[in-house]
Parts: sequence; structure tokens; C-alpha cells
Amino acid sequence: MTDYGHDLLFGSFITPSAAGAQQALQLAQLADAEGLDLVSFQDHPYQPAFLDTWTLMTWVAAQTSRVRIVPNVINLPLRPPALLARQAASLDLLSGGRFELGLGSGAFWDAIESMGARRLTAGQAVAALSEGIDIIRELWDTGTRGVARVPGEYYSVDGAKRGPAPAHPVGIWIGAYKPKMLALTGAKGDGWLPSLDYLPEGVDSLPTLNAHIDAAAQEAGRPVTAVRRLLNLMRAEFSTNGTGFLDGPPQMWAEQLADVALLHGVSGFILGGDDPVKTQRFAAEVAPAAREIVAAERM
Amino acid sequence: MTDLGIVLDLSGSPSGPTIAEIARATERAGLDVIVVPTPAEDGLDGWTVATWVAAATARIAVGLSRTRPVMPQPTGAAIPIPAVAEKARESLDLLVGPRLLEKGWTEAPADAGPDQVRALAKDGHTVVVPVTSVADVERVAGLLPDRPRSTRGAAARARRRPGIDYDNVPASLADTAVEPGDPRYRSVRSTYMRGGSPGLVLRPRTADQVADALAFAREHRDLPLGIRSAGHGLSGRSTNDGGLIIDVGGIDSVEVLDVERRLVRAGPGATWKQVATAIAPHGWAISSGDHGGVGVGGLATAGGIGLLGRAHGLTIDHVRAVEMVLADGTQVRASAEENSDLFWAVRGAGANFGIATAFELEVDEVAEVGWAQLTFVSEDVEASLLAYARAQTQSPRDTTVFLVTGSPQRGQSVIQLYGMVESADPDTIIERLNAFVPVGQLAQQQVVLTTYASVMSTAADVGPDGHHGAGEPVGRSGFLPELTPEFARDAAAALRGGRLRWFQLRAMGGAIADVAPQETAFSHRDPDFQVTGLGAFHAEMDEVWQPLEAHMEGLYLSFDTAPGPGRVERAFPPPVLDRLRDLKSRYDADGLFRDNFPLAPGARA
Repeated sequence: MTDYGHDLLFGSFITPSAAGAQQALQLAQLADAEGLDLVSFQDHPYQPAFLDTWTLMTWVAAQTSRVRIVPNVINLPLRPPALLARQAASLDLLSGGRFELGLGSGAFWDAIESMGARRLTAGQAVAALSEGIDIIRELWDTGTRGVARVPGEYYSVDGAKRGPAPAHPVGIWIGAYKPKMLALTGAKGDGWLPSLDYLPEGVDSLPTLNAHIDAAAQEAGRPVTAVRRLLNLMRAEFSTNGTGFLDGPPQMWAEQLADVALLHGVSGFILGGDDPVKTQRFAAEVAPAAREIVAAERM
Repeated sequence: MTDLGIVLDLSGSPSGPTIAEIARATERAGLDVIVVPTPAEDGLDGWTVATWVAAATARIAVGLSRTRPVMPQPTGAAIPIPAVAEKARESLDLLVGPRLLEKGWTEAPADAGPDQVRALAKDGHTVVVPVTSVADVERVAGLLPDRPRSTRGAAARARRRPGIDYDNVPASLADTAVEPGDPRYRSVRSTYMRGGSPGLVLRPRTADQVADALAFAREHRDLPLGIRSAGHGLSGRSTNDGGLIIDVGGIDSVEVLDVERRLVRAGPGATWKQVATAIAPHGWAISSGDHGGVGVGGLATAGGIGLLGRAHGLTIDHVRAVEMVLADGTQVRASAEENSDLFWAVRGAGANFGIATAFELEVDEVAEVGWAQLTFVSEDVEASLLAYARAQTQSPRDTTVFLVTGSPQRGQSVIQLYGMVESADPDTIIERLNAFVPVGQLAQQQVVLTTYASVMSTAADVGPDGHHGAGEPVGRSGFLPELTPEFARDAAAALRGGRLRWFQLRAMGGAIADVAPQETAFSHRDPDFQVTGLGAFHAEMDEVWQPLEAHMEGLYLSFDTAPGPGRVERAFPPPVLDRLRDLKSRYDADGLFRDNFPLAPGARA
């Protein structure tokens, strides 16, 4: 049983569809008004039906006031890290500290290559992500004197000015599934952001995968609590008499999510589906009930 | 006119709400542009600030200098990937309208007075003054209180293309015309298979308006001119870069003129799906192409090799009259009785002679049809092609089946057959289709008893968002008198080579061959098949196609995009070409219509 003790976050996973930009904004504003903590957007620049995620997130941030904006997750091969660091800090500054950086090593290499980036193997992409994180952290660190120098095989900066610094300590939340990525998450991440559907055995995979992250964190001399655990939930339905995981009334969802929080330490739940009614019920009925159960158990 | 605006001073690290407040005040004050300065290396990111400003405002232009394109180094961590930056610009257009301005302003000092600003604005420059507060904005707005204004925003004007007299678009078309700075531009710039960036899209809804559009086109003879019905053309001459488009998509009515004669009038902008749906209640159909999204105008002036072709002939064989506007703006009607020369020419080479505004079509009684989609796998594509050809050529006229395949994967070809049997009797349908079983190993099959209109209806509606084709299709076409073992061998080799990505055979014969070649400008009446190939690059495709073309004659205008010379000569055999050229000199001597297989010497392809 593992509970890392983080406050619970509830969020929404919104499709960045070019044809449905107004609906995406309305969903984000609904999340903002209903008290969800996060709105998040996938990043596939080569997908013609999608908007540019960075432009969309900035546009949404300018038209919301409270909710945090999260890419879920950024395609690093197509967004070089020094540029990404400055864009992320800028969006965090403009939005008053409402940005967290979901980050991934890239998939779909044919498409990535077709946009003009180089093709990497899975192993190379993990190494490139590791170098990218180092660069991002260096550029955000304006407390250290002197220019930033980060040598690397895949990315390097040599004498870059530091800054801008973000408005708040922006979390780097990594989309990770395989051992090397989990190890990187433990060593350098502030969060782990996988999708439940991609875990080989669903919730039952969490202990093993958490253990990978924990081991890597400890090896890097970090407390295991340095890495917040989040989960994208793409398949979930409210029903009056369902009996499965996330298939039932709101109170049942709340109990199930509280279990996942207390047993596996997951403290961020991000709901997909682009459904305003579901989003509203998640915010108004599931989130407070789950928080209540977890708070009671933690006392 | 004089444009006046502000440049945000970001040196004091203003907050997001402050920047938004200044932006809104600038828009409220009636200023024309908000410029986001090129950021310091350690300053706020320009794109993010520009997006933030655009999101906070509704109409005003947002200026951001385009960063000079730098060749990305593999390890360059700070340089945007150009395709991603381009995608961001497209997305911003979509989210906030075409408001991004990338150049064309001059910065005045923060304390500039009216005389200095007026001096800087003398050559039509947009002048911007640095501001740090809403009070600054109000002062800037008071500098030139009576300056002349344009009705169109600075960003929209900056996107206009050279050589187009935008301010003199004919009054009848001005409201519906679309230029690059209009929000609707995204939905009209590209076609089904081709990305485009025309300078102006004119959208006439009547024959008079088509004549107005052509008068405007005659004033712009040096620009490309595309004519578009539904934008489905593979040959893709219905969009261009920097030129004019006359889009008749709005002329799309379909009405029954005479029930006894099964005479139907259709606008060029209707799709064949709309035509099929409109006439289906009478128990009628007209063979068009193989996709319901195709427009009437392009297909009914080129040929129309469709799914009922062997039973009912080409689409042009059903045309009884065409109303059209000629290059000089004259409105004429062409039929067997009136302007019969033009009537001959427009059925196969219509794009050279005018813009059709209505077609009168004699349609057929067609009851239920068997609609088959069969998927085969084959390790011997050569044998499969021969088996298909044997089955098709020996079929009765009621059966028209097309074949599509691509490069074999790991030695296996996937071969799709789709077609119609004009019969309501399931046993007959099955019997007809059984002839095709030797094509390969049947992996999937769907056979339904349905109507022609239902099959056309499976095409998705394009909707107000338009087409979003990208790049340029690389297509080659031809007519195959007979599918010989030698052709099958060469086609199989081309497919195995991997560079022929998509390959289609359309069955002809039957009723198509009943019409004498001299009846219409489309004269390829005898071939058994029409062949189309798609590849990735023209040079590569020329090489791939050469051995196949040796077996073929002619080419089909609708599916050929070859840029080289000699394509018109290949499309039309000598006596047809001579007659067409003679008519071209009569109806369009100056070659206004010269962007779609032009007949005039010296015209561009």
C-alpha cells in the first residue's frame, strides 16, 4: 500500500480538434467554472485534424482564470527543449502560474520525420528527453549566475542566457510506460502521467510501475514523493447500476478513485471524452466525494 | 489610409492581465495594430504573447515579426521546426481569424508627436508607438484623430496577392468573394486532393454573375484562372497559387423538367450525390463517377466513367443541353439543335470553352442494383489482373466492376473490386459476381441490394469547412484497348516496384462503345478499360508510367496531372484536336481558359 500523500487533482482531457475549437474552449471554461484543477491537451502536430497544441493552450489560458493548463503530453522531438522552456515559462508567467509541463519522448516516428524532425529509436528518444529536461531546468533556473551550458548528444545549449523563469515551480510530468522511461521519470520528473488504457493490466499494473519509479528516484537520491502520480481515464461512464471500474454512479467512482489514491498513490485523475455533462458531474459530484474519503483515511 | 498602432513594451515584465488590458484598450480606441516586439533571448516568447493578445481581442491585427528561417541543427535546442511553426500560424488563424501581421510597420519613439508620426506614415507605412499602460494607448490614439481608415484590417490587407484589383471586384460578387485575409478563406483555398493559395475566389450564383466574374478575369489575364464546381477534381486545376478562382459551387439546384422524358436540370455545383438523391424518388439514376462527392460541372464536361457505365454509357452521353457563359461573357445554350459545334466540344473538352451554368440531363430508369465490394488477396497480381479483365469483358452490360490495388506488401497484393450489377434479382447478382472469384483469394465481401442513390450517399458531405487537400496529386491516366498479358506483366512489375502507390482500372465497353467516336469531343469509345495511377513524384511517375503507357491510347482529363508537354495531344486524337483548336479560336481566341489542358498554342498546362 502506497500513498504518496499529494493533494488530489482532478482534470479534463480535451481533444484539440480544429473543427471543434469552440467546444474545446467551452469545455475548458466549464472545467474552470466547476472547479476542476486541470485542463489538458494532447500534442500531435502532424495530425491535420488537430490544432497546434501550444497555440490552443495559450488561447485557452487567456480565456480562463483559475484552472491549470497542461499539455498531455508535449511531443519533445517536434518542440526543441530550449524553445519549449521559454514558451512554458512565458505561458506560466502570462497565466499567473497556471501551467504544468506534461512531456513525452515522442511516438509515431514516420509522422515526426515528415514534419522535419530526425527519427530516433525508442532508446535514443529516452536519452534525448533526459537531455531536454536538463536544458529546460537550466534555462528556468535564473537563480544561478552565468549562462547555461548543457552539452548533450541529442540537444545542447552552449552559453544561452537563462530565463525567463516561470511564475511558479512548473512541474515536469512525464508520459512513461516502459522501464527506461519510468526510470527517467523517477530520476528527473516531478510527475508521472500515463493513460490507464495503455497500462498492460490497467490499475493492477500500478504497483510494479510505481516501484520502478520509486527505485529510480531513490537511486537518484530523491524522495519517492518527489514524483506525483497521475492517470488519464479515457473510458468512464456514469450509470445508475453499473458495476465495473468507473462504470456506476458518482459515489462509486469516488470510492474507486479514492481506493486508487490510497492504495497506489495516484493523486491526479484526468477524464477524457469531451463530454460537458460528464465533466460537470466529475467536478461537482466525484471530486469532492473522493477528496472527502481520502482526507478521512489519511487522518 | 494611415494605420496607427502600438508596440507593447515588455521590458518591465507586465503581467498577463495587464497585457490583455492594454490590448483591449488599443482595440477599443480604434487603433489598427498591436505589435509584439521581437523578444530578448531571455524574455517572454513572442508567439505565446501574440496568441495571448489575439485571444484577448476580437478584431485588431497582431504584429509579430516572423523569425528568420534558420536551418535547424540536429542538436539545436532553441530553433522551432518550420512545419510546426507553420501549423501554429494556421491554428491561430483558425482560432482568432486571420489577424496575424508579420511585417510592414515602422516604430516611432515613445514620445513621438503628431508631426513625427505623420511624417513616418507618409509612404503608407503602419506606424506603431511603444506603450506601457492604458494611458499611453489613449495618448497614441489621440495622435492622428482624423486619419483616413480602411474598411479592411491591416492583417487582411497584408495577405492580398499582387496583381489583383481587389477594390474593383464586380459589385454583384463583392459580398461573396473570398480573399486570403477573410476568415472563410481556409474553407475555399484548397480542393479535395490539392492544397492551394489563390489570391481571390469569386463565387457567382447566377449566369449573370458568372459573366461578371469572367469580365474581372479578362482584366487579369496574366494570373492563373481556376474554375471549380465541387473541388473534387484529381487533375486539380480548380485551385492555384496567387490566381483567381471562379467557384460555381453555389449554382447547385437540381430539378425535374419533364417527367415523361426523364429530363433533369442540374447546376454545375451540385454533387452527384445530390443529383442521385433528387431523382431517386422517380426510380431514376444517372451513371456518374464512383464517388457521390464529385461535382456535376467538372465531370459532365470531361466524360463520366461510372458504376453504371456499361449499361448506360458515359455521363456526357446523357447531356441534352448545356447553358454556359463564354470567355467574352456571352450566355449561350448548346444542344444538338443550337450551337451544335459547341455542344460537341463541351462533352469532353468543356473546360476550354466556357463556364457551364446548367446541364439538361436525360436520366435512366434504374430500379434496385446489386452493390458489391469484394476484397481479394493475391500472390500473383499479374494473374489477378488478367482474371479480372476476363471476367469483366465477358460480363453482360448490366455489370460494371472497378479494380483498385496498390504495391504488394510482403509479396501479397490486396485487390479491391467494387461495382454494380443492375438487377433486383439476388441470383442474377450472385451469378454475375461469381465470375470474378478467380481474381484471388476472397478475404472480405459485402454485397447488398440497394439503390444507386444509396451508394452515392455514402460520400461524406464536405460541409462549410470545405476541402483540406494538401500538396499536389501525381496522377497518370490512359485508355486500355484490351488488357493483354503483356500489360498485366508490366503493370505487375510497376506495382511490385513500389512507386506506383495506387492503381485503378475502370471498366468501359458496353453502352459507352455504342456512341460513335465523332459524336463527342471525348472520342475514346472502344477501350475496355480506363487506367489511373497515382504516385509520389512526377519524375518518378513518368518513369513508372512509360512502359504502361505503351499499351494505352489517349488519356482521361479528369485523372491526369502530368505537367509536361504533349498531354493535350495525347488526350485528343488528331482529327478531334484539329476541330477543337478550330473551335477554340472561335470561342476563346485569346485563351482565357488556359489552365486545364489548354488547347491554344503557347498556353500553360
